[in-house]
Amino acid sequence: MSTPLVLLPSDEVPRDHLPANNSNPLRLGPGLRILSQPSSKSADSKHVLTATQAGLLTTDAKKNTVSLLSFPNRRYIPTVNDFVIAQIHHSSADFFHCMVTPHTAHALLGQLSFEGASKKTRPMLKQGELVYARVLSVGVGAGAEVELTCVSPSTGKAEGGMGPLAGGMVFDISTGMAGRLIRANSSSAETDEIEGLVVLSELGKKLESSGGFELAVGRNGKVWVNCSDSEENAIRATVAIGRCLQETDQKNLHPHDQKKLVTKILREMKLA
Amino acid sequence: MVGPTTSLSQLNRADGSASYKCPATGYNILGAVNAPVELPGRRDALKPEEATVEVFVKPGTTTAGVGERYVEGILRSVLGKVVLGREKGFPRRGVVLTLAIVGGENIERGDSYLTILPALLHAGLLAMMSASVPLSMTFAATLLCVTKSGDIVRDPSPTAAKAAVSLHVFAISSKSHLLLNESEGRFDFDTWELARQHALSICQGASDSSDGDVSMSEGKDGSLNGFIREAVEDQIYSDYAYKLDSI
Repeated sequence: MSTPLVLLPSDEVPRDHLPANNSNPLRLGPGLRILSQPSSKSADSKHVLTATQAGLLTTDAKKNTVSLLSFPNRRYIPTVNDFVIAQIHHSSADFFHCMVTPHTAHALLGQLSFEGASKKTRPMLKQGELVYARVLSVGVGAGAEVELTCVSPSTGKAEGGMGPLAGGMVFDISTGMAGRLIRANSSSAETDEIEGLVVLSELGKKLESSGGFELAVGRNGKVWVNCSDSEENAIRATVAIGRCLQETDQKNLHPHDQKKLVTKILREMKLA
Repeated sequence: MVGPTTSLSQLNRADGSASYKCPATGYNILGAVNAPVELPGRRDALKPEEATVEVFVKPGTTTAGVGERYVEGILRSVLGKVVLGREKGFPRRGVVLTLAIVGGENIERGDSYLTILPALLHAGLLAMMSASVPLSMTFAATLLCVTKSGDIVRDPSPTAAKAAVSLHVFAISSKSHLLLNESEGRFDFDTWELARQHALSICQGASDSSDGDVSMSEGKDGSLNGFIREAVEDQIYSDYAYKLDSI
């Protein structure tokens, strides 16, 4: 791979950084746009790719894409198909009104959009309870309502662990870290180190004897942790996992330091 | 001469933020950007296909007055032209920039507000980039004062600026376009042209490449555009350190 290249707005993408794959058309990711420069000599115009945001240029030769990774830690803006952790604020006749991000209007989750839910068997969620849901639609224009769902619209099944989250605890992380955790989980590589994160695999190894743990990551910067051990141990392990994730996020730890952190926190919590 | 210092993405709650300190004039600015946000009661704006750029300048010790309103207007017109308000998710929404004057001398009523303008422009631009607001270009701004003896001084202190015959603020884009020209005092065209050339060399560095290509080594010649590029690169390298390690 070539040297990392940071582009600023109005910088052109150098031709030698583009993937050399001519089988399918080049796809542009966020932060890039195509401009045509009318050339004075000939009638046909020249096309250039320029950046509109500051970020790191990344290319994927297999998918023939080029995109710009901008500053990762921003406010979460709901996008269709994102997994989020939402908290029930109140319920009405047809909907649960959920909080996805602070200081924004409530998102709507249909009373019947759960796996196998009917008028009689729908889950009775109370205020403050958590659901792992997917963004179904974000509406058009300003002030539109965000709609969530806990079933996949095509299959009617709760794929990817969607549904009410019982027990456990939620920790706040940055949106950039949430994205990393999701990517690290979805890429099915054999290596321990994906997206520079070894904290989860390390925790998994250390806590395997005590029953392991469950994790749900919401794009809105929330992570839900639950352990299935005996009462007191489970609480300690849950808090330890949350602390490991939050500290890795805040201090932007290197994989080597992540291992040290896991050992340190587990010892502090008397788990190792 | 000591160069300015800056740091990006300091605030947690804002979409993007930047602090900028200019040791020559002594100003320290903290900027925060929230974008895109819903603007209540602004749904039928004059230009429904574009984003509305709003700028607020807060002085450190007093409430905002006429001077702040004046620079807010200048900042809004410069940044409003640079922001690509038609990108996805931006039309009919707002880009709200708040600039707090954290350090530096107080600007009294009646003093020139041009002295603080470059620092505000830089803090605003860096905060916009940190918030990933789509921009058509970057720019750098500089303050020049012409003394009684006709010398052109870069980044004068507030006292020196008060004694100057004329003050000029230029903002020059990364492609060497003149984006902003604000002048105060008595001067003739020749002085202005000299000051403009001076500003161009400060912002772009001594070797000015007019073909639009950006050379990666331009930060080393001490130009302001190079300084902004380096500040952004440093922040991105530290944010994506985990990605760069594996390459």
